[in-house]
Amino acid sequence: MVSTNIKNFDTLVVGGGIAGLQTALDLGDQGYRVAVVEKDASIGGKMIRLSKVFPTLDCASCITTPKMSAAAHHENITLFTYCSLDSLDREGSSVKAQVTQKPRYIDPDKCIGCRQCEYICPVLVPDPEQGGFSAKKAISIPFSNAIPQLPVMDTEHCMVCGQCEKTCPTNAIDYFQQPETFTITAKTAVLTTGFELLQVKDNVQYGNGKIANVIDSLQMERLLAPHGPYSRVLRPSDGMEPDSIAYVQCAGSRDKSMGVPYCSRVCCMYAIKQAMLLSGSLPLADITIYYMDIRAFGKGYEQFYQNAKAMGIEFVKAKVARIDQGENGSVTVRFENQDGSGIATAEHDLVVLSMGMVPGWNPESVCPVSKDNDQFIYSVKPKISPVLTDMDGFFTAGAAAGPKDIVDTITESGSAAMEAAKFMSNSNMEN
Amino acid sequence: MSENDKRVGVYICYCGGNISDHVDVEEVRNRAEKMPGVTIARTNMFMCSDPGQAMIIEDLKSGKINRVVVASCAPSLHETTFRGAIERAGANPFIYDHANIREQVSWVHHGEEATDKATVLIASAVAKSKKLTPLDPIRVDAKKHTTIIGGGIAGIKAALDVASKGIKVALVEKSPVLGGRLNRLDRLAPSGEKASDVLNELLDALKNNKNISVYTDTVIKGVTGYVGNFSLEAERQKNANKVKFNIDTGAVIMATGSVSYVPFKGEFGFGIHDQVITLQDLILSLKENKASGSVFEFNGRPVRNIVMIHCVGSRQIPGIHQPGEDGSLNEYCSRTCCAAMLNASNMIREQFPETGIYEMYRDIRTYGRGQEELYNRAAANKVVFMRFEPDSVPEVVKSSISDYPLQVKIKDTLTFNEEFEVPADLVVLATGIEPEDISELASMMKLPIGNDRFLLEVHPKLRPVELPVAGIFLAGTCQAPMDSSEACNAAGAAAVKASALLKKGYIELDPFVAQVNLDKCKGHGACVQACLNEGALKLVEMQIDGQTLKKAEVTPAMCLGCGACAAVCPEKAIDINGWALKQYEDMVDAIVSDGFSA
Repeated sequence: MVSTNIKNFDTLVVGGGIAGLQTALDLGDQGYRVAVVEKDASIGGKMIRLSKVFPTLDCASCITTPKMSAAAHHENITLFTYCSLDSLDREGSSVKAQVTQKPRYIDPDKCIGCRQCEYICPVLVPDPEQGGFSAKKAISIPFSNAIPQLPVMDTEHCMVCGQCEKTCPTNAIDYFQQPETFTITAKTAVLTTGFELLQVKDNVQYGNGKIANVIDSLQMERLLAPHGPYSRVLRPSDGMEPDSIAYVQCAGSRDKSMGVPYCSRVCCMYAIKQAMLLSGSLPLADITIYYMDIRAFGKGYEQFYQNAKAMGIEFVKAKVARIDQGENGSVTVRFENQDGSGIATAEHDLVVLSMGMVPGWNPESVCPVSKDNDQFIYSVKPKISPVLTDMDGFFTAGAAAGPKDIVDTITESGSAAMEAAKFMSNSNMEN
Repeated sequence: MSENDKRVGVYICYCGGNISDHVDVEEVRNRAEKMPGVTIARTNMFMCSDPGQAMIIEDLKSGKINRVVVASCAPSLHETTFRGAIERAGANPFIYDHANIREQVSWVHHGEEATDKATVLIASAVAKSKKLTPLDPIRVDAKKHTTIIGGGIAGIKAALDVASKGIKVALVEKSPVLGGRLNRLDRLAPSGEKASDVLNELLDALKNNKNISVYTDTVIKGVTGYVGNFSLEAERQKNANKVKFNIDTGAVIMATGSVSYVPFKGEFGFGIHDQVITLQDLILSLKENKASGSVFEFNGRPVRNIVMIHCVGSRQIPGIHQPGEDGSLNEYCSRTCCAAMLNASNMIREQFPETGIYEMYRDIRTYGRGQEELYNRAAANKVVFMRFEPDSVPEVVKSSISDYPLQVKIKDTLTFNEEFEVPADLVVLATGIEPEDISELASMMKLPIGNDRFLLEVHPKLRPVELPVAGIFLAGTCQAPMDSSEACNAAGAAAVKASALLKKGYIELDPFVAQVNLDKCKGHGACVQACLNEGALKLVEMQIDGQTLKKAEVTPAMCLGCGACAAVCPEKAIDINGWALKQYEDMVDAIVSDGFSA
């Protein structure tokens, strides 16, 4: 389907997480017109779903929401949320993207975000935004800080009872809404497509995701977050407050058997951060971190790690070999002790897997940009400018170009904005 | 509009529990609602979020309120966020005051006390807000010129980036050559590119750039002025002479870089045994090594065994490590040494298979893209890894085996604390990164330095390449240890901020500056004496009603808004816009009145 609906910009930013937002803001502030295309129903990416962030322990929302808001209200930035990127390529001197607006089944021009539809909807579905621990309505705004404040209808679970339609004060519900395709043209593109966590279900030795009290680190972020599913830390199987929590580091990173030979760069620090937050909310709980190397390399990180040790968090150097279901919901962790005593097992009430980072987007069959062996976007000049890809005028930043923490992502995004601006200045001079 | 027409809206943030875990936010709301002049008091989980801001905008637009008080985190975080929201409602952004009930309340007080203190701070902000008047930002012209201090890789990259936006750049380097520490490196980890190739590519681009003036052998001796209009006093060493000149510039990027830690005498045998060298020494030797045999040679002697010791002058722990001469400890990780060590080990093992390598480490931190592969490659190259705890470090001693000059004793935690004595022809210390000493420059420019002695950014996530002095940015290892990729990214980020700042040719500053009431001013000059920023305030002759009178005059762009002048004026003829004496009186009255707390 070829669309006749064409929108022109200076830069197309693919992905509205913190990397994309920072890139858009730095370009917008220089007067460039930026389109941000985001696959989710809200901008904010992974960062807005976090609890607090290391090493300052600022709440993630306190740092992300103002940037989201600044981007949403910026005169030079246009957000396209809940959109899929169907194709992206260079066409002569311009960048051309085919984008499909997925249907939310509400009319965004009419909706006032009053949430009446959400309140009246009788259908509850598991909420992926809460790690699957709690439920949301079949029509709902994704989360309280979402931008835009527009609900999405889950057509798979909606039973078409019509109550939302009757309740909506502006007649915004549209059961027959269709996907809409449009074209974005620009001079440059910045790929800030982020990461996903490797799935626990792929991990045989750690229970394939079938052990109830083995969760991944992003689920723990939700348990610790202010808007979390339980508003406190409870283990999922029986709602017990855990007395003993273990972190298994390098669960799927630095592990060729999982297809992730690289270091995921952030897991050491987020595990230490979560351990600190847990010792705040569960002061009596024992917290153990099983690790291979603690990689606290950034500014203030090593001091953060030493503080965690001083707080009584136990660090055990061991690669956990196996995790099994124990009795009464407990989890058995098997590892080799480094003091010579050999194979040991330990029981924990809750185990958190520090899963590795994998790319959030596969450009294959959408965009001819090259990937590196690690499947993240290939950087052609890793020293002088890590944000350059192998396509002219195409840049990348953040976890799209390899695992990265927020501090490094934000700096790299500024750098990507600079390179995009430079590219546009140069092509203006040539013209 | 009289004070009685002021309708104050109070917006209290939960901060997702950061505040509400200790302050009863709903109770504070109930109390705030009853304060004189308050027409609306609302709460939100995150007032800075879009829905939170929307409440303020809606209340302003509907005319329910015409003054705003936000009670949340420190104003340094989100003052501009809320000003932006108020502007979007079509109101003047300076009709708003901020109560800090996080850093000043919930993070330091608990229980009822916290709730009471939050109430009092809000009452005082409400009292102040009733005397707020709309203000206009001060607009000053800005020079489309940026000065970069430091000509290492970060400085060069920043210069090229800023210049690409048509902004003139002065690149100032104290040594005779550009390139900084890259000049001393060989092949860079993890890709193995030659440092000289990377540098030459940048230097070539620099040569062809008409917007960039390079000043080598030049130091900055003085800094005056303010954002958009700095004047730097530079001194250039030319032959035997010192040439002084001024650089007028709109923004400054600090790229002053770092130096390598120098071990103290006896640290791992350094300075005692000639065979104990730093990683820098090893890299220089690799760079110049022309040996063709299968054994690595150092200073003409074959090296059969090398022991590499990590974390020398990094990750120091109080009570365990010996502080430097100034009493400081390098508690931070130097970030680059693990990959650099492994890179050197691989080069040696691959070129000189007869030379054995033992790496003694605490944690191997190959975090970056391609770095874990270096570690795997080192293992495949049969580099032997041994791990030690910080309180039980390897000991370098004269060898008891006559054949080897040194041996290194280690308790290896990878083999159940087994004790080894490793014979060595060479011991290489991975010395960490320390910031270049820029204390004079920093104190001259009033730049903050962190506990780690590196320059301290405003906020690592919100404003990572900005310093609190407007118009001054930072890039590279003057901020923290980083490798050349990271330094280049930081340089790009600093350049994009400097370009955005200077692009319009003018800059808008906060209007909280001194204002003279000419009717009251009698020209005593006490304010000029008290002024902390020379040039911000002066006595000038004015013609008023045919008379020549001396009166005080403010240069708004230079005024710090500190209020020193207002405090000393005997006529109360000078005051700070937005922070007037009357407002302070009202705030104090609100704080001491008992009415608001429970």
